[in-house]
Amino acid sequence: MALPPPDPQFVLRGTSAEVHTLHFYCGGQEPDYPILFSGSSNGLIHVWNLKTRRVDTILDGHGGKSVYWVEAIYGRDRLLSQGRNQKICLWDLAEGRNTVTDSVFTENVGFCKCSLLKVAQGHWLMAMPGKDLDEVQVLELPSKTSVCTLKPEADAKPGMPMSLKLWQPDFGSCPFLLAGYEDGSVILWNLSGGKILSRLACHQEPVMSLDFDSEKTKGVSGSSEEVLTVWSLDEQQNLKVQKTHKLVNAGIADVAIRQDKKILATAGWDHRIRIFGWKKLKPLAILDYHTATVHCVSFSDHSRPSERLLAAGSKDHRISIWSIYNQTSGALHCPLETRKPD
Amino acid sequence: MAVFDTPQEAFGILRPVCVQLTKVQTTENVERLQAQLQTVSDSALQELQEYVLFPLRFALKTPGPKRESLVQSVVQCITSILSTTCVKKQDLLQELFSELCLCLSSPSGLQPPAPLSEELKLTVIQALHVLMHSAYGDIILTLYQPSTLPHLGFAVSLLLALAEQEKAKQIKLAALKCLQVLILQCDCQEHHRPLDTVETRQCGNLFASFLPGISIALSRVITGDIKQGHMVTVSAIRLFYQTVCLVMADEQLATITQDEEKPSGEQSRLSELVVHRGPDWVKSTADKLSLLIHKIVEFASLHPHWKVRMELVELVHLLMLKCSQSLVESVGHLLKAVVGLVNDESNEVQSKCHEILRSIAELRTVAENRDLADVLSENLHSLATALPRLMNSQDDQGKFSTLSLLLGSLKLLGPKVSIVLNSAAHLQRLSKALMQVLELDVADVKIVEERRWGPEDSLGEPLGSLQHGKGQKKYFRFFIDERIFLLIQQVCRVLGYYGNLYLLVDHFMGLYNESVVYRKQAAMVLNELITGAAGLGVDVLHERETAVSTEDLKGTITSILEEYTDQANWYLTTSIDTEGTSDELTVKHSRVRAISRGAHSSSLISSSSPSSDPNPTIRSMNSNIWQICIQLEGVGCFAYVLGKEFRLLLVSVLYPVLEKAGDSTLLISQTATGTMVDVCRACGYDSVQNLINSNSDYLVNGISLNLRRVAHQPHASRVLEAMLRHSDASLLPLVEDVIRDVLSALDQFYDDRASSFLGVLSTLVAALVQWFVVVKGKEHPQEQNLEQQRKQGKGSVITPMVQEVEQFFLDYIKQKQIAEGNLPAMEEEEEEVQALPPEPEMDDSGAEGETPLPAHAQIAKDVMERCIHLLSDKSLRVRLKVLDVLEFCVIVLHLHENHLLPMAHRAWPALVTRLINDDPLVVLRAFKVLCTLAEKCGDFLRRRFSKDVLPKLAGSLVTQAPVSARAGPMYSHTLAFKLQLAVLQGLGSLCEKLDLGESDLNKVADACLMYLSAKQPVKLQEAARSVFLHLMCVDPDATWLLLNQICCLLPYEPPHPSLQPVKLGGMGRQRTEFTDNVLGLLGELQRRETAAFQAGPREAPEPQPPSLTEALG
Repeated sequence: MALPPPDPQFVLRGTSAEVHTLHFYCGGQEPDYPILFSGSSNGLIHVWNLKTRRVDTILDGHGGKSVYWVEAIYGRDRLLSQGRNQKICLWDLAEGRNTVTDSVFTENVGFCKCSLLKVAQGHWLMAMPGKDLDEVQVLELPSKTSVCTLKPEADAKPGMPMSLKLWQPDFGSCPFLLAGYEDGSVILWNLSGGKILSRLACHQEPVMSLDFDSEKTKGVSGSSEEVLTVWSLDEQQNLKVQKTHKLVNAGIADVAIRQDKKILATAGWDHRIRIFGWKKLKPLAILDYHTATVHCVSFSDHSRPSERLLAAGSKDHRISIWSIYNQTSGALHCPLETRKPD
Repeated sequence: MAVFDTPQEAFGILRPVCVQLTKVQTTENVERLQAQLQTVSDSALQELQEYVLFPLRFALKTPGPKRESLVQSVVQCITSILSTTCVKKQDLLQELFSELCLCLSSPSGLQPPAPLSEELKLTVIQALHVLMHSAYGDIILTLYQPSTLPHLGFAVSLLLALAEQEKAKQIKLAALKCLQVLILQCDCQEHHRPLDTVETRQCGNLFASFLPGISIALSRVITGDIKQGHMVTVSAIRLFYQTVCLVMADEQLATITQDEEKPSGEQSRLSELVVHRGPDWVKSTADKLSLLIHKIVEFASLHPHWKVRMELVELVHLLMLKCSQSLVESVGHLLKAVVGLVNDESNEVQSKCHEILRSIAELRTVAENRDLADVLSENLHSLATALPRLMNSQDDQGKFSTLSLLLGSLKLLGPKVSIVLNSAAHLQRLSKALMQVLELDVADVKIVEERRWGPEDSLGEPLGSLQHGKGQKKYFRFFIDERIFLLIQQVCRVLGYYGNLYLLVDHFMGLYNESVVYRKQAAMVLNELITGAAGLGVDVLHERETAVSTEDLKGTITSILEEYTDQANWYLTTSIDTEGTSDELTVKHSRVRAISRGAHSSSLISSSSPSSDPNPTIRSMNSNIWQICIQLEGVGCFAYVLGKEFRLLLVSVLYPVLEKAGDSTLLISQTATGTMVDVCRACGYDSVQNLINSNSDYLVNGISLNLRRVAHQPHASRVLEAMLRHSDASLLPLVEDVIRDVLSALDQFYDDRASSFLGVLSTLVAALVQWFVVVKGKEHPQEQNLEQQRKQGKGSVITPMVQEVEQFFLDYIKQKQIAEGNLPAMEEEEEEVQALPPEPEMDDSGAEGETPLPAHAQIAKDVMERCIHLLSDKSLRVRLKVLDVLEFCVIVLHLHENHLLPMAHRAWPALVTRLINDDPLVVLRAFKVLCTLAEKCGDFLRRRFSKDVLPKLAGSLVTQAPVSARAGPMYSHTLAFKLQLAVLQGLGSLCEKLDLGESDLNKVADACLMYLSAKQPVKLQEAARSVFLHLMCVDPDATWLLLNQICCLLPYEPPHPSLQPVKLGGMGRQRTEFTDNVLGLLGELQRRETAAFQAGPREAPEPQPPSLTEALG
């Protein structure tokens, strides 16, 4: 008999606004505690101390407009945040400071999240929606110089980019960008040539989110419809649909593959978080806690697998933290819950 | 006195006397000599010493029987000579020594001492004593040669025999003293030449021969009759240890080699007497001594005189200091003695023991000497083995000393404890012993019975009222004395201090999980272990090498706490009706209990307590209660240990503790409260409220997660209750979120679990009332007063005569105009403005309508919504409680009329059903709610009330009236009476608040009239009178008329003949049962009118707008 679905390990309260984005930072050594950054619709970024489960710092830099992407660079001392005020801010958090040291103005008014890729020590690439509606711009950080602008050909009309994922097959090789568009297609861009390598129409509705596993060269995308699609990339750089999973309730706001590529979490508009085995997209559990749409899910990158957590942020102002499937052996063979969503 | 300084002169004086004495040996002659000696100076006498001694010695040596008196005086004389001179010749010394000894020997020579008079014995002993002191320089050492061994032996045995067999205390003491001198350990003031090592060794060798004799004889003296006096025992003990130290000193023995040559040759016969102190000899002697020491220790440690015990401690000290290696066998006994005396009743002994223990510990004798550690651990083992048996058989005093011993051994072992406990056998025994000793007495029924009644508990008390670390007084099966528990506590702490924390915690955790039988004890031990490990409240002899780091402690504590708060160990059955009682807590009326049995049997079935034992006995429940208490105390201990570091653990601990603070078992809730205070103090919060407020996020998290589990919902709501009760309005934003969770959980389980949520809802709305209504009321008392005045003014401003008549007509015209549809719009508005007192700072959304409600009002509204559904619950208790909650909701919402009125509208049908068609209890309660509702909603309810409720109420009053009129005194205890009373008490104000119409007022008046009868119970009469008093406010004229219909004493003359004479129904009637009350009421009415008339002119202008008069014109 399947066990009942687990409860969250704990719930973080106090953002007093919808939580749009989450980002873990667990890289520090012992005296440092794991932290979780959350961006919410009131423009604040909360820095949560996961040891005390309390807010350490609150960053206010987006003029009350919602923050929908945060990511730490340079360890925990620098933070990138993207807000609806068309700004991407670089925060200096070292030694208790919390000031915006730099910012980039995006001319795009959509809500496509940026994507960051470390290409070398001290160098990053950041993909962000560009000036034109269907354009994606890639910047090099920290210099902020534009590497390329990816604009589909005039007749392609994929609409606005909705979600981005930069990746590279091996460290040092040429990076690629996967972008999900408004018309439900996923496009693979080659950054060096600025060319479309492959285009896959995998959804009828806009692609809300995607994640990609560069080891197995396959990715997953969720849209506002009730389908979760897994597609793969073959040697000829062609995207192919591998598998689709039909959900009962429509709307996937976010997908995330855990760093160890074993499980996948989705944030559902139906208030639920779903966990799948990444290998075969086997449904493992439905985590039911939130009372409103779940906006984002994120896995922690803690060095000890047993302390890797899953966080989900929701419209109900809460962030739920789950400790699931992180026992090293055998966990995946005995699913917690395989009931069909009703 | 010394007349003759030179030897020549002295000689001249002494010679005749000496000659005389030599010739005739009589006592007189000896005395003469003695007298002459007084006149000779010391130096002269020294010269003539031998000469003078000669006749005396001669007198002693003369063969044949002598008179005792003569011998005595001769010996006395010798003594006096020796005391002023010194013996410089070896021969003389030896001869004198043996001659003196011979004085006491029996003629047969076999049975010393001879049956002589006590005086003589004493004299001889003293002479020997003096002789030893008078030996000059090294001369004394010549006595201690192998060749003199026989003489010495003789003297020793003689003195021992005297010490042992004599009756006279003086002789015993003298003999012992003399022996002391003989073994060169004299402690007198005179200067004794200290011996060098070689000499000491020689003496040691020599006395080794006597050791068996001396020690056996002394042990007999020591363990002899207590009546011999403590002095004898004390000196015997002293002599004993001095002798043993002399012979068995480690220092000496270390220098003796295996193959040391025996003195050979001519003295071979003598040499056989000399003992070679080789290892074998040492071993066998030590074995024998150990027996004696054991005997002595056993005896002396229980000796009633403290000086004896003191001397024993001294013995231990010296032997431990000097002979710890040679006497390794006895170390156990010795330590036992000193450790056992650590808690002696005499302070001197105590402090000495402490000093010695410390010095022993400091010398590291124990730590570095493997043998000693072995001995100690062996002791520990045997003690631990015997402990359970001893705890069963001994009395409290015995237990106390046994445990002192255990504690002392542990303290002495010090850092070795951890090594000793590495042995599984030791740990096993020790822990089992502790488990047994600490077994609690769980037979007390009271602990299970005692309930926490009433919603208020002591968390709000000031911090000072609860003492830290006290815990609940526990009752143990095997002992009563509180000191014993303290000792055990120390034992555990010392274990924690020195022991390997991980090992110990692991072991006791194992016991904790092994069996319910051990669980409480193991938890107690664990708590103390941790305290000890942190070095708190532990008294030790030497510092441990490495203290446990805070990190380790924190880790250990975390894992223990995890175990403690595990479901299986935390949620135990502590009462038969966990569900029922927790609900009863908040039911205010105790009478409800009588009828609630049916209700809570159903809730029992639905409750699925996680660890529900099908048949909990009183014993097991008591045991569970104690276990929870001990675990709670543990939390307090751990907090104390970690201090502010504990704050981090609050994440997981605070919730369970608070949960227990709301437990219905008195003991548990008290303990939890104490724990809260401990935690609060340890973490540096200044009050429990502060603690809860600062950590409400953790609590909220716990509540919200536990609400998801059906079985835990009651706990969760209990925590929320506790939070609400101990906090203030600042908490609301924090818990708002979780309150929604509660409500949604309630929505899911309307049917079966409503009652468990109602408790928290009731606390919640009560808190809201407290925070937002009462506090506000206090802030704006003036406004409220104004409002009151305004309300009262409406009824009481009755200006008689001309003004009144004028006013009446004005009103009449106005009413008529209104009736005709001619509305004076302007004036209405003006009145409206006046009617609403401005509340500028108040978020009075009622006035603005569309603005969102403040949070507290929104919550109250949500709660009220649920209440409407629950009003028709099938459980009586639920209905009753819902009514309570409803009342509070109404109070909270009354400032937001726009929201209150629709809610009241929705609640009305259900409420009416309660009022009309339910258990009398519910009716009673519902009526109270109705009164509150009417007060807050006013005339909004008028029509509904008069249509739905009033007929029924009036009807029931009418039908009940004859019953109560006939009833006896017991009637006032019935429910029917209470209902009547409540209705009568409330009806008056209802009429006023709802501003009822004339016909309704008549209905009320008619129904209540019956109760003005003198036949009715007094209380009902009073209540009925109050109804009429209210009616007077609403409509004084009609009331007046009505009352006068019943009874009228005053004749009313028309002021003008053109008016018709007044005829009233009550005129001329006989005195009836109603007369008293009616007259009273009429009098009151009269009084009021007069008062209003007098006050009228000042008050009157205000309520009358000038425009009215104009309108009339």
